[in-house]
Amino acid sequence: MREYKKLAPRQIALWTSFLILFGWGLSGCGLGSTSAAMRGQQLFQNCVPCHQVDGSGNPQVGAPNIAGMKAWYVQAQLQKFRAGTRGMHFSDVEGMRMRPMALSLITDGDVTAVSAYVETLPPVKHAPTLTGDAHAGDNQFHLVCASCHGTNGEGNADVKAPRLAGVDDWYLATQLRKFKAGIRGNNSKDIEGRLMRPMARILTDEDAIRNVMAYLDTLKP
Amino acid sequence: MDFGEVTEAVMYERYITAASTYAHSIDHLFLLIAALVGFWLIVAEVVLFALVFKFREKEGQSTRYITGEEKELHRWITIPHMLVILCDIVIIVPAILVWYNIKQAQPPADRTVRVYAQQWAWSFQEPGPDGKLDTDDDVRTVGELHVTVNTTYHFELMSRDVVHSFAIPSFRLKQDALPGRTITGWFRPNRVGTYDIQCTQMCGLGHALMAGRVIVETQQDHAAWLMRNSNPSLAAQPAAPAPAPESTTMAEVRR
Repeated sequence: MREYKKLAPRQIALWTSFLILFGWGLSGCGLGSTSAAMRGQQLFQNCVPCHQVDGSGNPQVGAPNIAGMKAWYVQAQLQKFRAGTRGMHFSDVEGMRMRPMALSLITDGDVTAVSAYVETLPPVKHAPTLTGDAHAGDNQFHLVCASCHGTNGEGNADVKAPRLAGVDDWYLATQLRKFKAGIRGNNSKDIEGRLMRPMARILTDEDAIRNVMAYLDTLKP
Repeated sequence: MDFGEVTEAVMYERYITAASTYAHSIDHLFLLIAALVGFWLIVAEVVLFALVFKFREKEGQSTRYITGEEKELHRWITIPHMLVILCDIVIIVPAILVWYNIKQAQPPADRTVRVYAQQWAWSFQEPGPDGKLDTDDDVRTVGELHVTVNTTYHFELMSRDVVHSFAIPSFRLKQDALPGRTITGWFRPNRVGTYDIQCTQMCGLGHALMAGRVIVETQQDHAAWLMRNSNPSLAAQPAAPAPAPESTTMAEVRR
């Protein structure tokens, strides 16, 4: 019968300890070397299926173009999704899809990291999908939107108004309709959203929305 | 102690509350299957290891290799085989009865709710104080279904996008939701409390986070909740019985 060399208990203990320490070390490799920027990039992989690698979005699933979006705005919206102040309305299909994704960011640090990464993505400009009268939209924009969102649609962090120039028209039009219908901005804790609702209602019809979109398309991001 | 008490004490009740009228019939069935399959598992393993031990190589005896073709060896297969088939019948008969009672025969509904599954949320449409769906006072909620205890509910289950599965473990309820179809099922909650709703069909990236709650309330609490949340002004939104109330977004984009 073949003889097997038996390991002494001390040897077994030594090898087991070595393997445990080796595995432990390996499991910590990813954590130890991850800077905030790397962490943001890693977390963004969860966003890629809908928002694309370059953050340019996908209208087929209602995912907006977020490339280059300011970190403070991304962060604020992610926190709203996490808190359930956005994406909790029965008719907000895209919002409800986004909410669990935001909830998958466990810590506030993760939210900050992924928001910072989104801002680093080079902005992507898409061709307009809606047609309207840019001249009429110019008047409407300066009457209704410019006081918060800036005369060039560049946004204003002080009043928490995001940049509009360079954002896809289909997405902005959708959000305006949602604000008007009370699908977005209906939660009492969504202060900015609640402010937006009466503003959106000033754009009384579909033509007014399309005209403003046509004007926004003339602005540079 | 009757069989039901044994089940409660021994099995799932300890880990997952049984909160619907048919929960215990599912538990009994699971216990029956576990007991029969467990019995045969133990018998098979004991016989296997006993034979390995008995016919192992030792002084004056080499390991025997048998083909199992002889009649007396054949019996080791055929007799357990027959007994296992008998056990299958013992399982299948109550299984069909449970299936019939839960999935085929639907007791008349006291109330009907509509359940929408989508990536990755549950939303619900419940009749308001008038008790009828698709009227002005309907209550629409996201992630929370409010029901009254000891009331038979029919649910109309729909998917807004892909295949999902509507599961309430405490009710022992699980039903797939298929896009384009309205599937009707029923439950009768019999214990007040808050229970999990899960999606049990892989439905995409956010599947693991597709959760909700069913809140079983007393009649008074539920009536008060309905009064607080039923808002006729919601009727301005399309009270569409359509299976997938399409988001304004995509409808508009395609225009």
